[in-house]
Amino acid sequence: MAKVDLTIEICGMSGDGTIAAGGILNEAMSRAGLSVLAFDSYPAEIRGFGRCVTHSRFGDQEMQALSEKTHVLISLDDKESQSRTPFLAKNAVVLFDNKPPSYVEEGTSIAAHVEPDVRLFGMPFTDLAAAASGSTRGRNLAALGGFAVIFGVPPAHFREVIAKKFKAKGEKVLDANLKSFDAGYRYASEAFKERERPVLLLPEPGKDEERILISGNEAVARAALDAGLKLYFGYPITPATPIMEYLAKALPAKGGRMVQMEDEIASIGAVLGSFFAGKRAMTATSGPGFALMTELITHGVMSETPAVIINAQRGGPATGMPSKTEQSDLQAAVFGGPGDSARIVIAPTNVRECYEFTLMSFQLAERYQTPVIVLTDFFLNNRVEKVKIVGASEAQREDWNLYPDESSRGQYERYRVTESGISPRAIPGTEGFLFDATGLEHTEKGRPDYSSEIHSKMTEKRHRKIRGALNDLPEPVEFSSGEAMDVGVIAWGSTFGSALEAVLRTQQEGMKVGALKMMSLFPYHAEAIRAFMKKCKEILIPELNYEGQLANLVGHLHGKDVVRLNRTTGMPMSPTLIYERIKTLI
Amino acid sequence: MKTSGKVLAEQVKKIGESKVFSIRSPSLPTWCPGCGYFGIHQGLNNAIQRLGLPHHKIVVVSGIGCAGRYPFFTDTYGLHTVHGRTLPVSTGVKLANPELTVFAVGGDGDGLGIGGGHLPHIARRNIDVKYLLFDNSIYGLTKGQPSPSSPVGFKTKASPQGNKDAPLNATLLALSYGASFVARLFAGDPEGITRALVQGIGHKGFSFFHVYTSCVTFDKEYKTWDHLKQWVHPLPAKHDPANLKQAIDEALEDQFSLGILYKRME
Amino acid sequence: MSEEHFIVIGNGPAGHHAAVTLRLEAPGARITLISKEPHGGYRPHLLPKWISGNIKEEALYVCPVEEYKNMAIKLRSGQKVVALNPGQKELVLDHKEVLRFSGLIISVGGTPRIPEPLLIFKDILFTLKTLEDARVWREEIPRVDSVLMMGGDLTSLAVTKALLGLGKKVYFMVNEEAFWPLRWSLSLFEEMSHRLQQKGVEVLADQRVKGITRKGDCDYEIQIGRQTVRVGMIGAFFGLTPDVRFLAASGLRLDRGILVDEYLYTGFKGVYATGDCAQIYHPALRDYWVSVGHDNAVELGRTAALNLVGNTVKAGAAGKCIFEVQGIKVNTSWWTEF
Repeated sequence: MAKVDLTIEICGMSGDGTIAAGGILNEAMSRAGLSVLAFDSYPAEIRGFGRCVTHSRFGDQEMQALSEKTHVLISLDDKESQSRTPFLAKNAVVLFDNKPPSYVEEGTSIAAHVEPDVRLFGMPFTDLAAAASGSTRGRNLAALGGFAVIFGVPPAHFREVIAKKFKAKGEKVLDANLKSFDAGYRYASEAFKERERPVLLLPEPGKDEERILISGNEAVARAALDAGLKLYFGYPITPATPIMEYLAKALPAKGGRMVQMEDEIASIGAVLGSFFAGKRAMTATSGPGFALMTELITHGVMSETPAVIINAQRGGPATGMPSKTEQSDLQAAVFGGPGDSARIVIAPTNVRECYEFTLMSFQLAERYQTPVIVLTDFFLNNRVEKVKIVGASEAQREDWNLYPDESSRGQYERYRVTESGISPRAIPGTEGFLFDATGLEHTEKGRPDYSSEIHSKMTEKRHRKIRGALNDLPEPVEFSSGEAMDVGVIAWGSTFGSALEAVLRTQQEGMKVGALKMMSLFPYHAEAIRAFMKKCKEILIPELNYEGQLANLVGHLHGKDVVRLNRTTGMPMSPTLIYERIKTLI
Repeated sequence: MKTSGKVLAEQVKKIGESKVFSIRSPSLPTWCPGCGYFGIHQGLNNAIQRLGLPHHKIVVVSGIGCAGRYPFFTDTYGLHTVHGRTLPVSTGVKLANPELTVFAVGGDGDGLGIGGGHLPHIARRNIDVKYLLFDNSIYGLTKGQPSPSSPVGFKTKASPQGNKDAPLNATLLALSYGASFVARLFAGDPEGITRALVQGIGHKGFSFFHVYTSCVTFDKEYKTWDHLKQWVHPLPAKHDPANLKQAIDEALEDQFSLGILYKRME
Repeated sequence: MSEEHFIVIGNGPAGHHAAVTLRLEAPGARITLISKEPHGGYRPHLLPKWISGNIKEEALYVCPVEEYKNMAIKLRSGQKVVALNPGQKELVLDHKEVLRFSGLIISVGGTPRIPEPLLIFKDILFTLKTLEDARVWREEIPRVDSVLMMGGDLTSLAVTKALLGLGKKVYFMVNEEAFWPLRWSLSLFEEMSHRLQQKGVEVLADQRVKGITRKGDCDYEIQIGRQTVRVGMIGAFFGLTPDVRFLAASGLRLDRGILVDEYLYTGFKGVYATGDCAQIYHPALRDYWVSVGHDNAVELGRTAALNLVGNTVKAGAAGKCIFEVQGIKVNTSWWTEF
């Protein structure tokens, strides 16, 4: 049973410093020793316009998913905050500005829109900030001061974060901001003295300094840098753009370069060219960009050239919903493009795995001489978690290319059929091992050849090679209640977190339910999946796509039809939805 | 004068030992006899020999078309990619290992049609790739359709009433995209190609070689060898390759003057 | 806004039942019930039973908070009215939100009264009016063995019963001002003392508090007349003062509470006052009387609501037992409680 499990939203209009306040809150609560899972929502296309809502979940234990109910709402703009009141949990705390500049008509205040069980805490953020710093800008920080009092969070955590964040903006700004926070804290300490306050039971300090708050995007970028990436080729597309921008800043310092190409086709082309010439490169995109890349991806498969592609899925099809989450590119990632073009597809389920899998993808691409696709989604890319990232070990950075050995000098066959299917790959610049890579079907020497014999042989070789990657790919992980279960839930990507939360809940209630975390989508570990399915009467596969793309991929391994749970709401799947569905199957 | 068989055999042996043709791969080109690509092949091979470029440090990147097969016929590293994407792939290769000499080769369909969107950007970035555009104003591999550089009125199976679209001027495009080295050449003059290539290979930056050539199998009326030989002529003697405006005017007004139209000073 | 908007200020027994009655009588009207306490409506007269542990907290509440929604009554809990303009038919909440109404019932109740001479001891005296107060009693009582009860209003008798039930020693200083402005008759005083003593309460004869000294944590010495009493906790039960300071500038006729006629009408169209905060005119007496006790409050709440929607019901009092205070028959049901 978690001692702390608090979901906090800050809602305001753009210009209210909502997002900044959310960031400070995340950092401060993280310093207080809590785990963090934060996922902001902004308006779709245009920043700087309209409603901003930050959404963070804090706990003393790891969290897998967002909670459906909000326990604390900090309203920086009552009109916008009204949209958030339907999500308030019972006895939620609402912190609002109780001294608007003038009297307001009934219904304008957030106080008119909350249920009677909601605990309202009013304080004059605007006045406090103005009095303390001469400007109302710091009202968001005054509000955080009030929050700290209500929940008993040591103000030092907030002050340290504010100091760090605004140091670069100069003494005056930093001072004003600290003053605003302090004013809010002082006021609340006095005003809420007598009130019953839900003070948090914070963990012992100093237990996890190694963990940092980062987003999925940042985790991907960092992993690439830690893998020794020197070249990134990309094109702006929501939600992958931050990866490109992070690397644009970080690569030059490492002697590398980020090149913004003219389109996604050019991006993948350059990545393949780079790996062909022996250097790790990467590109990140989303559905529409990925679609453009498919021809060249299959070229990578046919010419056996490595590549690393991050596909950060969003609402589809076509331009779809750029700022909403979905899991509808699985089919495209595994099968997209002409021909039998099996390649490696892996999908992280949380921010830590975004780091690990990106790191791993370079080695997989090199060893199996194929494009590797890392499938993330908007939710993963944009959410912030407190993660332990200590950099890559020697082993994780190791070069996994298989170079030809001396014995084949002068008689080198680039596509020699081997037992593993992996043919040693010479790198241009190496004397004695010249070859031509091609997207046409070819002989072992690499000469174009369309004969039935060659195509059969080489197709089989390429597929055998990819299947061999199962040895290096993360196996599915089971979370089972026992050897015989009523329901087994198989999920991938960020939906797994929601599924796990639902399954753990059912297990706590004594139900015989298990979960299987699938991370390698292709090739997939059929044996392990089948073994899990055998233990379960029913298999439930929840995913954020309409057809049930994972169900289509692995459902056949089960003795009978799997149960599908499909949602295309653009929002992460709710654990409660999965929980309720599990119950109907028992 | 007939040479005796023995003398001939010795001469062949000497040539073989001299490694002059070692740049050629064992595979025989699959182009039609009389194809202009042979001339380009000779021109490029000679440039490589003349400069003594080590073969293992050369990468030839090609697209799709008759020119796509090019890498197979040279004894270097080769990368035969998909249609129209030679330039971005070359960019990746060169940035990954700047010590390689990277040649990008492709036809007018590959470079001006599907690949047209990539030319401006490799030029703007001035990536040190040597791009040879084999311009025969036709899609030959797919058996004769009009290309982006085909003239108005050009009749093919795909344009039975005659092509209606105005042709693109590849040299003019390259210049307006900011390419730092632009040469216009003729497949019927391999030595001219070699000379320009030697300069271009030495140039540090994107080098564009627009090569007119003939498709003897599918174009019997426009870019025939006869026509091309009549049309081409050298650049005026007073042409100043350091003058961009002059180069652009030249490209606009005279489509068949050959030589190095533009070379940006470092 | 063509629809009726009825507002009830105060969610005690009077306010709660006023709101419920309004809902029954005017099914189409919009009803807002404003309560400065953050809880749903609860029964203050049951607090002593909660203090003694005889009932659970859930039993205090009149209904679950969801019920208000079911009755389509908008409960604004934890929100306070700071100003009222009955003529303009608008009121202001403490966060500057202005609410307009077509009908208003003021049932704000009262706050525990501490007589003038005892005000200096305000900080150490325990009163009991709200749920929060009761929580404080529940926390404090386990720390003490003996309690001095001063006053003698209705609540004090129920609390004494609770304390006896918890095994505490109880001293009781009955003060004739307990029912202020009404005064005890001597016979009533004697009867009450007798009953208390029967239950084991030590009733103190004198009423003059000479001094209170804090001897330590939960340890007080009180000098009453010539007697000295040592206890762990001191409670003050001197009745309630109507909580009407916020109405000072409203234009309503105020004395200690809100002056209303026998129909609970304030004189401003659509504005009524009821429950402990009202002083109700009694035509026979040609003077004002006050309500005492839970059942009266409930009845008065209903009456105010009925009258607001157009009826003419005279304010009466509930209960079966009658006792006399100052020659006036006062109906109350508390006596049988004890």
